[in-house]
Amino acid sequence: MSPAPYAVVVPKGYRIGAWEVREPLASGAFATVYRAVRSTAHGGGLPRRAALKFLPTGTRTPRQLRHLRDLAEREVRLLRRLRSPRLIRMYDTLTVDDPEHPELDGATVLVLEQAEESLDAVLDRSPAPEHAPALLAQICEGLHQLRHAGWVHGDLKPANVLLMADGSVRLADFNTAAELEGTHAYTTAFATPDYTPPELLWPETDERGTRTRPSADVWAFGVLAHVALTGALPLPGGSPQARADAVMRYARGHEELRLSPALPDGWREIVRDCLAPAGADRPTTEVLLRRVEAAAGVPGPPRLSRLRPRGPRHRRPVLRAVLSAAVLGTTVLAAKVHAHVTAEDGTPVYAALPKAQAFPTGPNGKVLYGYHHCPRDSVCFFSEHNGNGNMCVWRGDDSDWQSGRATCDWTADAPVRSVFNNLDDDRPDRAVAYFRGTGFRPADADRRRTAQRTGCTPVNSMGNLAGTYAPRSHKLIDSCSSFTAVVDYLTPW
Amino acid sequence: MYSVIVVPPSSGTGSDQIRLGAGEHVGFGRTPARNGMVIAHEGVPRVAGEITAHHTFWLLSNLSEDQTYVVENPEGAGEHVKIAPGRVDAPVPFEFSRVTLPAAGDLLTFDVWAPRHAFRSVERHGLGGSATVPAFSLDRTKRYFAVLTALCERRLRGDTSAPLPTVEEVVELLRPGWPKVTRSAVYWNIDYLAVKLRLRPGPDAAEPGRRVHGKKESLVSLALRFDLVREDDLVVLTPLPSGAVR
Repeated sequence: MSPAPYAVVVPKGYRIGAWEVREPLASGAFATVYRAVRSTAHGGGLPRRAALKFLPTGTRTPRQLRHLRDLAEREVRLLRRLRSPRLIRMYDTLTVDDPEHPELDGATVLVLEQAEESLDAVLDRSPAPEHAPALLAQICEGLHQLRHAGWVHGDLKPANVLLMADGSVRLADFNTAAELEGTHAYTTAFATPDYTPPELLWPETDERGTRTRPSADVWAFGVLAHVALTGALPLPGGSPQARADAVMRYARGHEELRLSPALPDGWREIVRDCLAPAGADRPTTEVLLRRVEAAAGVPGPPRLSRLRPRGPRHRRPVLRAVLSAAVLGTTVLAAKVHAHVTAEDGTPVYAALPKAQAFPTGPNGKVLYGYHHCPRDSVCFFSEHNGNGNMCVWRGDDSDWQSGRATCDWTADAPVRSVFNNLDDDRPDRAVAYFRGTGFRPADADRRRTAQRTGCTPVNSMGNLAGTYAPRSHKLIDSCSSFTAVVDYLTPW
Repeated sequence: MYSVIVVPPSSGTGSDQIRLGAGEHVGFGRTPARNGMVIAHEGVPRVAGEITAHHTFWLLSNLSEDQTYVVENPEGAGEHVKIAPGRVDAPVPFEFSRVTLPAAGDLLTFDVWAPRHAFRSVERHGLGGSATVPAFSLDRTKRYFAVLTALCERRLRGDTSAPLPTVEEVVELLRPGWPKVTRSAVYWNIDYLAVKLRLRPGPDAAEPGRRVHGKKESLVSLALRFDLVREDDLVVLTPLPSGAVR
């Protein structure tokens, strides 16, 4: 019998819950992730596509059953409790009940947000990509969100960093995640040697296993940053074992750390500090995030307010020009004078861009996305498609984009072409409705629409807009499908 | 992280064991260089050889003029390596090794352990990326594995609150599959498992009477928590077919 190619083999077309399984996306030591499409017309809040992660927790699993159940439980526990823009989203969990397929029966299935690809695949294709700093900033943000919630990831590496279609980053694979008990947590008995800090390479154990600390994730981030920025692992050696020996020689002070000369300025110190031999000498994720965002030149969130009681939120619109072209190497940027016609009430209407220009591509022919520039817990509008061009950022309502404490100047005579609602999930009002009139009032043809607005974008959504208008005001509401938020503007019947 | 543990001849306590990290080396002989292992016998050269830890295995240099050293695997069926005089850095592949030096008619021995020897599934070379690997890897064909299985036997059979077996009971459990088992062999393997699984010395380590019991308890908890032994591993406790050697 030849060994199974994946940890869990699921036949194509296999149905579970609302899902039909397609091809495998990735396979790890104990789980396999498959692409899946929803087979029901009405999703009940479920997306059309998802990634299904199968963990062989059934009774026919030959080995390590108890441990696999522990791993599955860790991931489910974390994803049920933590919702954050930088962590992969879990929609549902299922258990296979299928005596016909004894090898699958009892398996735990996690229904996860489907990503475009892993960072591992990106680095495989183009080592040290140009936008590595921006990605690292988001990875670090995810790490900090985890740390802030009291978890250690335990297996941070490029294969566990996923990129969404919009180019934004999600941390994934929380089987090895451990919840802190005071200053430490207990690891699972799994690790990836090249991303393992010296203190965990041959660690002491007790009955519950090996103790770990958040500083282990910081070490792994240092390795990952070195890999992403230079294309090479920081410690020398031709095999994981040889590199582990090099780590130990360095940790014992027998050898210097020789980082790649290809590390860009500003990153050398960050990587060196993450790779401090003693965990206590490594920066906290909070300090690290500030430094990484400064080095990457991306705007940082003012502070992490998640999981804390929310104070009054200031309306603090931020205006930033995003030079995606420089960051991403855009070759096509449709920053032209926009032909526009004016509607009867004076509201400008712009001509939409031809479809060919709607998806600017980079030199490698891939569509470029700039949505990741949008800071967390914000709503962002962009002057170009796919999150490119100029960006205006808000954290609350704005009754007039062109006056008041903050303005979004470029929308005075140009349309918005894309939007990203990157608000936190736990806000009560997390959809954004926008209006072509000031004071949340409809203008032009929108006055005849039932919703009495130009558009509405639900939380965690991004996409291209018609490109024919620029809002003059926007308001955060609880849901795009609910009329209660706009009831003020409805004609009573 | 040490790769190799050298156990000097007649080491009883464990405190004189020499632990080598990767790349470190230790000389041995009648009067070896500083920090070397002394083998006090007139028939042994002053500087008889050198052991170097390398990755998860080790290298032996035979620095004698005319004696061949033999490194055997005490758990193997006569498996051994001969190291000719003058041979430098010969790799030794065994997890357990007994080094034998002929010395004026006597055969002197010392042991070398390589607890970082790793075993993992060769299946599932899935879809790329650097692999996540288990932190504990045991060789299911080794005697330590049979000892661990015997320690966990009652709990594997479903009695989760069963008291731990005494060393005498472990000996009885092991005898069908390992006829020559002794109490001291069981103690030895328990000690080795504690090294292999990197067990933190418990708070009771200082009290001599409780030491083994605390170690047994920790080993069993760890093994069951991480599924290092399972019910179907109980087969290692069954009698061997005649003629087979374990």
